[in-house]
Amino acid sequence: MNEKVKSLISRTLEIPESKINDKTNLVKDLELESLDLVDLVAAFEDEFKVEILDKDIKNLQTVEDIVNYIESRND
Amino acid sequence: MIKLYIEEGVSSRNLLKKVLKENDIDEKIIYNEYGKPYLKNNKIYFNISHKDNYTVLVTSKKEIGVDIEKITFRKRVLNKIANDEEKKLVKNAEDFTKLWVKKESYVKYLGMGLSYGLKNVDTLKLKKYKIKKYQDYYIAIYGDEVKEV
Repeated sequence: MNEKVKSLISRTLEIPESKINDKTNLVKDLELESLDLVDLVAAFEDEFKVEILDKDIKNLQTVEDIVNYIESRND
Repeated sequence: MIKLYIEEGVSSRNLLKKVLKENDIDEKIIYNEYGKPYLKNNKIYFNISHKDNYTVLVTSKKEIGVDIEKITFRKRVLNKIANDEEKKLVKNAEDFTKLWVKKESYVKYLGMGLSYGLKNVDTLKLKKYKIKKYQDYYIAIYGDEVKEV
């Protein structure tokens, strides 16, 4: 799952996958802004068939957070 | 009175410092639970947005939100944030960018950011906003001091 998430971030926002690891912070390290975050949330929802709640977006800071969230929503 | 500052190559932090100094304000900055900054005594309200090399800051006597975005079009984002009526009105990148900054300035005005849900903002019902084109960018301001459109 971690690799799938990294690959999707890389493809969606055209960021080299080598720059993304499990602890990479989307805002602090990759300098993503709101538009990128919403784009990414939509891409995750399409790819993983989950609904990401608006109130949870601010908690999805790293690849690890995203993986844990998607897995918990799929339970 | 609303004041809009647009600066190139200046960080948000430094622009805020400069504006507070200009207004002779030396107050602590506090943050709400969603991360929106305020002055401790709310002597003035302010909001900041940043894109590429530009930083914009607005000040107002009342609650305010601002957003700047470079003219762009992202279909996936449009589908995620727009209702059917809004989608019909977006014909090109300029329309999309205006829709985006309107929604963003509103949720920043509310102090909730993305947590509010951009799809929950119906731009056709928003009244207290102003939109300004600046080079290849759009800037939207939403606030209680803005005259209704």
